[in-house]
Amino acid sequence: MTYLFANARFAGVFIMLLMLSGCARNPVLLQSTYQALPPHAEITSVPFYAQTEFQCGPATLAMVLNHQDVATDVEQLIPQVFLPERDGSVQPEMLATVRRYDQLAYPIRGTMDALLGHLAAGDPVVVMQNLSLPIYPMWHYAVAIGYDLPSETLILRSGEIERHTLSFSRFDATWARTERWGFVVAEPGTLPAGISARNALEAISAYEESHGPRAALTSWEAFVKHHPTNAIGQFALGNALYADQQIDEARNAFERATALDKEMGAAWLNLGLVLLQQGAPSAAHEALKNAAALEGDWQAKASEHLSKLAVSSAASQ
Amino acid sequence: MKTLRAYLSTLLIAALVITSLPVAAAPAAPQSMDLVSTQSVLSADRAGADRERINEILARADVQDQLLKQGVDLDEVDARVAALSDAEAQQMAEQLEQLPAGAGVVGALFAVFIILLVTDILGLTDVYPFTR
Repeated sequence: MTYLFANARFAGVFIMLLMLSGCARNPVLLQSTYQALPPHAEITSVPFYAQTEFQCGPATLAMVLNHQDVATDVEQLIPQVFLPERDGSVQPEMLATVRRYDQLAYPIRGTMDALLGHLAAGDPVVVMQNLSLPIYPMWHYAVAIGYDLPSETLILRSGEIERHTLSFSRFDATWARTERWGFVVAEPGTLPAGISARNALEAISAYEESHGPRAALTSWEAFVKHHPTNAIGQFALGNALYADQQIDEARNAFERATALDKEMGAAWLNLGLVLLQQGAPSAAHEALKNAAALEGDWQAKASEHLSKLAVSSAASQ
Repeated sequence: MKTLRAYLSTLLIAALVITSLPVAAAPAAPQSMDLVSTQSVLSADRAGADRERINEILARADVQDQLLKQGVDLDEVDARVAALSDAEAQQMAEQLEQLPAGAGVVGALFAVFIILLVTDILGLTDVYPFTR
């Protein structure tokens, strides 16, 4: 028995050394990050609300929303985002609550480089961490407000600490346990640089679901400006323009969508429908034919309109 | 004393080994979600949406029940469900129990306290700011 433990001790020392060498390695920041970003950034204008009990969700939301000049406070946010039985707040509701205040919540790319990029651009980032170990999780939301590259330190508004500084490596260890989840808040019509096209599409689409396509129009325009060759973006812009009664502009957007992605049946169908409305049956026929030829939900509707077109053209002859 | 030390070191070894795994095996690409289809993005007059709409209604009713069970005020439940996008409502309906709920630092058992103290000193966790 003692013999066993003696071995265990050696093994323990060995593993400890291995781990220490592992821990000492900082999370890899790209060389370009060091070159592109200022060495120090801190968004001091973010207000601070100390969390009470388990309310880091409402507290972080109050900080970033107030930073956006949205009038709200922790007391108002608690019934909107806190789950009493869970003693916490869940991610989908964090994003949804931001939208209730007419702001967009954009999930960021899960890398330290992206996080620092947003901070350098002046956007505070709500990050989710597991402060503890996976076997005994302590989930936590905090607001990243700055960093210092020479000392490899991140600055957070966290819990009861107004200016919590911690090393990149320690932060990244806690952040990695939530798959590096975080988001920035932006007003409609703005798209923070560095957000992936997919995340932006999802965020604007979610905003559109609750606020309607016309409210999302400026955001789609911002998206198309950042990602002019994204077919889904052009398609979405087309629908928002259509809802805003800008029929010609909508048709142009659908045309761009079909040019960018010839396999996008929904865009062909919408283009056909707009052309029908504009009284251009032959062009509409072309577009609907393309939609009907592609596999998908739109096929039935495209075929239906095609046959109607055939009937009406037969009647007029 | 010696036995205690032996036990303690075994405990620490186990704790450290377990800790090292998730950091090393952190998922590289979190973006595996299916993109919101263009249909659900917009087109109010899309065909074949009925089934999806029924699913969505069921999901939202389910979320409503769950939120009530989790102690959310009756007055607030409707607004909270309405604020969710379809994708979020689906996610909540399917896995609310498993979703992590951000709360912050809560009290820990003594054994866990010791382990977390060590991992804090090693720079793996951030539970006790006084370790720095």
